[in-house]
Amino acid sequence: MKDKYITVTQLTKYIKFKIDNDENLNEIFLRGEISNFKAHTRGHYYFTLKDENARINAVMFASSVNKCKFLPQDGMKVLVTGKVSVYEANGGYQIYVNSMIEDGVGNLYIAFEQLKEKLAKEGLFDPAKKKPIPKYPELIGIITAPTGAAIRDMLSTLARRFPLARTILFPSLVQGAEAAGDIVKQIKKASTYPLDLLIVGRGGGSIEDMWCFNDENVARALYDCPIPTISAVGHEIDFTIADFVADLRAPTPTGAMEMGVPNKQDVLILIKQLKMRSEKNMLHQLEVKRERLDQIASRYVLKNPLSMYEAKEEKFDRLLDQLQFSISGLLERNRKRLEQSSKHYFFLHPEKIYDEKQRQLENVVLALKKQVTISMQNYVNPYNQLLSKLDALNPLLTMKRGYAIVRCNDKVISSSKKLKENDLLKITFNDGIITSKVVK
Amino acid sequence: MKEKEKELTFEENLEKLESIVKDLESGNTPLDEAIDKFNEAIKIAKLCDDKLKKAEKAVSQILKEDGTLEDFKPEVE
Repeated sequence: MKDKYITVTQLTKYIKFKIDNDENLNEIFLRGEISNFKAHTRGHYYFTLKDENARINAVMFASSVNKCKFLPQDGMKVLVTGKVSVYEANGGYQIYVNSMIEDGVGNLYIAFEQLKEKLAKEGLFDPAKKKPIPKYPELIGIITAPTGAAIRDMLSTLARRFPLARTILFPSLVQGAEAAGDIVKQIKKASTYPLDLLIVGRGGGSIEDMWCFNDENVARALYDCPIPTISAVGHEIDFTIADFVADLRAPTPTGAMEMGVPNKQDVLILIKQLKMRSEKNMLHQLEVKRERLDQIASRYVLKNPLSMYEAKEEKFDRLLDQLQFSISGLLERNRKRLEQSSKHYFFLHPEKIYDEKQRQLENVVLALKKQVTISMQNYVNPYNQLLSKLDALNPLLTMKRGYAIVRCNDKVISSSKKLKENDLLKITFNDGIITSKVVK
Repeated sequence: MKEKEKELTFEENLEKLESIVKDLESGNTPLDEAIDKFNEAIKIAKLCDDKLKKAEKAVSQILKEDGTLEDFKPEVE
């Protein structure tokens, strides 16, 4: 008995076989809106494609994902190609997507947001990477269309504000499919010129018109450009990618020139002010120095220079005195020495020697005389003394006073006892001699 | 010295002028030096002033396909 029952697997395999062999299902072009989007870590996308009334599961393997230029999001309307098959494990049929593109203009915004996010992550908008815009650019490069309002506005604005600057226009398409490539090419060319500033832009237009400024290559070229850049895309409300990458964003081409160059009048005023400041400061410094000079000049010594002189005068006098003193001392000493020397010679002169000897002789004579006198006196004096002594002893004188000399036999009798009676005495008186006889 | 000054850009000259004025205003400069600096400041100021006043209209060129530069005048509408 044959079993009429088949397994689920058998059924699923059969359905899968049927679908896989349907030519219509092998290459499907499908339009739908993404929902339940899920990007698997291994790189596959799983999502649902739906319209108002139906839905189909979709899978996009990593090999196909790599070719996809955008990150799908829920709500996106897309056009996909692929084939329908069955996933046996859950018995579901699904579409295996080979390629997927966005459906419709509205998706430009999403592509823009995605590029912006991508470049931001890479650091292309990093404020720290922004080059400073020079204050006084003298050579300015402009990348825009050679015709139209943009270039005209920029040049007239420049002529009005800062005619000192020269410009080089790097003509480029600024709309259409070729524009982005053209802009990139001109940015690279401009980089080889010694520009102080590069302005890249165009006048206003629709979002599609200026889409080239949202091009990734344009963004990278701007980022790599060594010259400070200003983006000048005439669309005041929305920003382009170029606006984010450029070192400075201007809302319009005219605005780019207004931001990029100073106003001549302002610069002239600045120069005038700097000049005035330096003049004022110089005058002030001179005034200060003059005051100091006056102050110094008014000091006592400078006002009375004689006072300084007087002190010197006094010192001079003292020195002069000292000088005179020492000179006269010197003179005196020398004079004395001369005198001594003269004396020396003076005495050596024969006449002087003679005189001297003469004088010596005289002295000797004189001394001799004196000596003689003294000697004589030595003799005379004792004589006189003797004389006076003699005088004193002169008996005659004594006799004058009444004394008489008694002699006997010519002998002087000094004692009565030697006498006898009748002896004859010869008595000598002062004035004569008498003869007497002793009576008793 | 004069050659060197000519090489300076307008911006460098203005920066120099500004720094000289700041130096002078600091009051730390000896008089002799200050006088020299002042003279230089006046010279630079005149140079910049002349340069700016003489430039009557901006010179514009366009890069041709062959790589040469040509005078450029935007067309009037």
